[in-house]
Amino acid sequence: MKTTLLFAATLMAGAAFMAEPAKADGHAPVCGLNTGTAATGDPIKVGGINGNAPPGDFSGGTDGAAAYFDCVNANGGVNGRPIEYIVENDQWNPELAGQVATKLVKDENVVALVGNGSVVEMAVNAPLYASEDVMVMASGCAISECYESSHIVSTNQGPLPSGIGALKFAIEELGATNAACIGFNIPNNGGWACDWMNEYMESKGLQGTSILMDPTAVDLNSVYLQALAEGVDTILLMLPAGPAIGLLKVAEEQGGRDLFKWVSPTPLYEPGVGEILGEYWSENLYINIELNEFDSEGADNQNWAKVVEAYGQDGDRQDTFSQSGYISAKFFVDALLKLDPATIDRPTVTKAIQGIVGAESDLLCKPYYVGEADRHMPNHAGRMVVFKDGGFELVRDCYDIDTNYLDPIRAQEAALGLK
Amino acid sequence: MQLLTHKSTLVGLVALLLAVILLPMFAGALWVKVLTSAAIFALAASGVSLVYAQLGLINLAQIALIGIGGWIALRLNYGTALPVTLIVLGSGILTGLIGALFALPALRMRGLYLALVTLMVAALFQIMFNAFQFPNGGEGFWGVAQKSAASIRRPAFAETDEAYFRYVLIALGLSFALIGLHKAGRPGRAWAMTRQSEANAMAAGINVTFYKLWAFALSGLLAGIAGALLAGALGQLDARSFLAGEGILLFALAVVGGAFSWLGAVFAGLLYKLLPALFNDWGLSADIALIIFGGALMHAIMTAPHGIAGQILGAFNKEKSDD
Repeated sequence: MKTTLLFAATLMAGAAFMAEPAKADGHAPVCGLNTGTAATGDPIKVGGINGNAPPGDFSGGTDGAAAYFDCVNANGGVNGRPIEYIVENDQWNPELAGQVATKLVKDENVVALVGNGSVVEMAVNAPLYASEDVMVMASGCAISECYESSHIVSTNQGPLPSGIGALKFAIEELGATNAACIGFNIPNNGGWACDWMNEYMESKGLQGTSILMDPTAVDLNSVYLQALAEGVDTILLMLPAGPAIGLLKVAEEQGGRDLFKWVSPTPLYEPGVGEILGEYWSENLYINIELNEFDSEGADNQNWAKVVEAYGQDGDRQDTFSQSGYISAKFFVDALLKLDPATIDRPTVTKAIQGIVGAESDLLCKPYYVGEADRHMPNHAGRMVVFKDGGFELVRDCYDIDTNYLDPIRAQEAALGLK
Repeated sequence: MQLLTHKSTLVGLVALLLAVILLPMFAGALWVKVLTSAAIFALAASGVSLVYAQLGLINLAQIALIGIGGWIALRLNYGTALPVTLIVLGSGILTGLIGALFALPALRMRGLYLALVTLMVAALFQIMFNAFQFPNGGEGFWGVAQKSAASIRRPAFAETDEAYFRYVLIALGLSFALIGLHKAGRPGRAWAMTRQSEANAMAAGINVTFYKLWAFALSGLLAGIAGALLAGALGQLDARSFLAGEGILLFALAVVGGAFSWLGAVFAGLLYKLLPALFNDWGLSADIALIIFGGALMHAIMTAPHGIAGQILGAFNKEKSDD
């Protein structure tokens, strides 16, 4: 009961404490044509779908994209045409996910979708996007369909590369030899990512175990006890922030911090997390981050901070997904600016997005690309931070991962002339 | 009574024909999808209503049976090359058998106790769905691979959402006809007598156990067909869609809609799927629908035991007699 209450409290606290982006330096944000005049032409309809319901809020991507589109609209739009951004929430419900995507693609006739973040919608809608030839520049992906579909390309890494990145660090720097991957029992999410975790550990001659739990009845105590029983030395928290924090609190209650090396993919990288976890976890929790640090000095990160400050809405999430949504929207607008505004429709936009190759940003470790392929994973190199004194400190800068999963991706990159 | 039934059937047929022809033409793509879901759950609700209206028994496990039907349909979809319509029928029949099997030990109970047993069955399947997941094209009996799901077939003549909606509507119409035939035939008479007095029914030579099981099997058949159709509509199934609590909601809406006529099942499906979608489309929380459902259930229990359908049909009949 105590753990349940604690878990609920951490979830509420997680919702209350939003990440703080780097402080804007006083200059106005730079967006699109940056003319300083509002666009008044015929709107270009763009869609976005997020999943915002228990057990996770994936709305940061659409929040970041919406802020950037508003900024673009206030600065000349896409050669005079404003972007009408229509955002829907799938509420983690596959049926609703199918309905809202159908509405956007068939009824609203959007030219593309940008900033999508969800654990269900890509699985339901990947065939629709392919059959309707509409591209999705997602920003908060967490399931296999997001990375194994012809018409979805995500700027965030998702659990597989980010989790393997965390494990790679744990093996090389912390001496991990036997890891438990704790995730949700969803075949294309926890099951998929943890399976590849185990394959990665085996490829290194080490041991890996999956501990998958029911997302509708999360029992963190029993999951923790199972990890203890498995005799592992490392725990990889392949979970959204809420349940991951809950599990850390269970471990704290039971004095389990020093029994394991604790690593996590990106979801735990939120400034609000520091205030919830407290001093107990300082220098004992390592997190792989898929995009750059919130306070990094790069031009895109600084501009993201200014854009969300100037054009974001109250309650917007300002997390990694928000960075991802912002940069997805920027790449999208950059691609559209090369088109004749009078010819912008779904076929030309799809072609323009597929034509993006080698787009660079300080938010990413390597150039972003799309291309025409049956799968996409342009972002698979990240950074590692340690949770320290309520904040985060970089412990390893950009590094890539080595897993067989990336073989077809590396072949694409070679074909596109990218290393 | 026979005339009324006859008229009701005619009205139903005309409504079905109009829906099949006109709705896909004029409803937007979103509403075609929503109405497809509503029709599928109307089909499932008709099974709940059948058991409740004919025998006075409460079945809260219908949502679990829809899940079972969906599971079987997915397994057959990935494991065989059977035509989709055959898969839908097969899923319905197997689910009907499973429904009857689970009903067997529960038949000595009535009222609250039976309701609790069916709720526990729903909870059992909720856990099983989460533990074993739905087939996604993997190997082995469970057919689950830790990867993206393979595609789910639809009938060749119903590949598009609009055509699939028509396919579901026809399945709904046939299911209503099947229920109507049962009500008008020997099972209907046996159910009616059993509902009045089991002792009298037995004294009259009716095999009460058999006909009760038959009702549960028929209800299971409808749930299984609904599950198979749902798999085709969504392109995948997710364990989180078959929570035990949804079974209570579906039963409540079957009562609100009206358990005694096909129209009630249609209202149940519309309330269950269309109302939340409307709120969602208006930018309001879909949970508002739950508040409305609660109020509607109280209204139905206190003043309209035959539900919305009963009130509409009652008003229509009154108007006729006034004339």
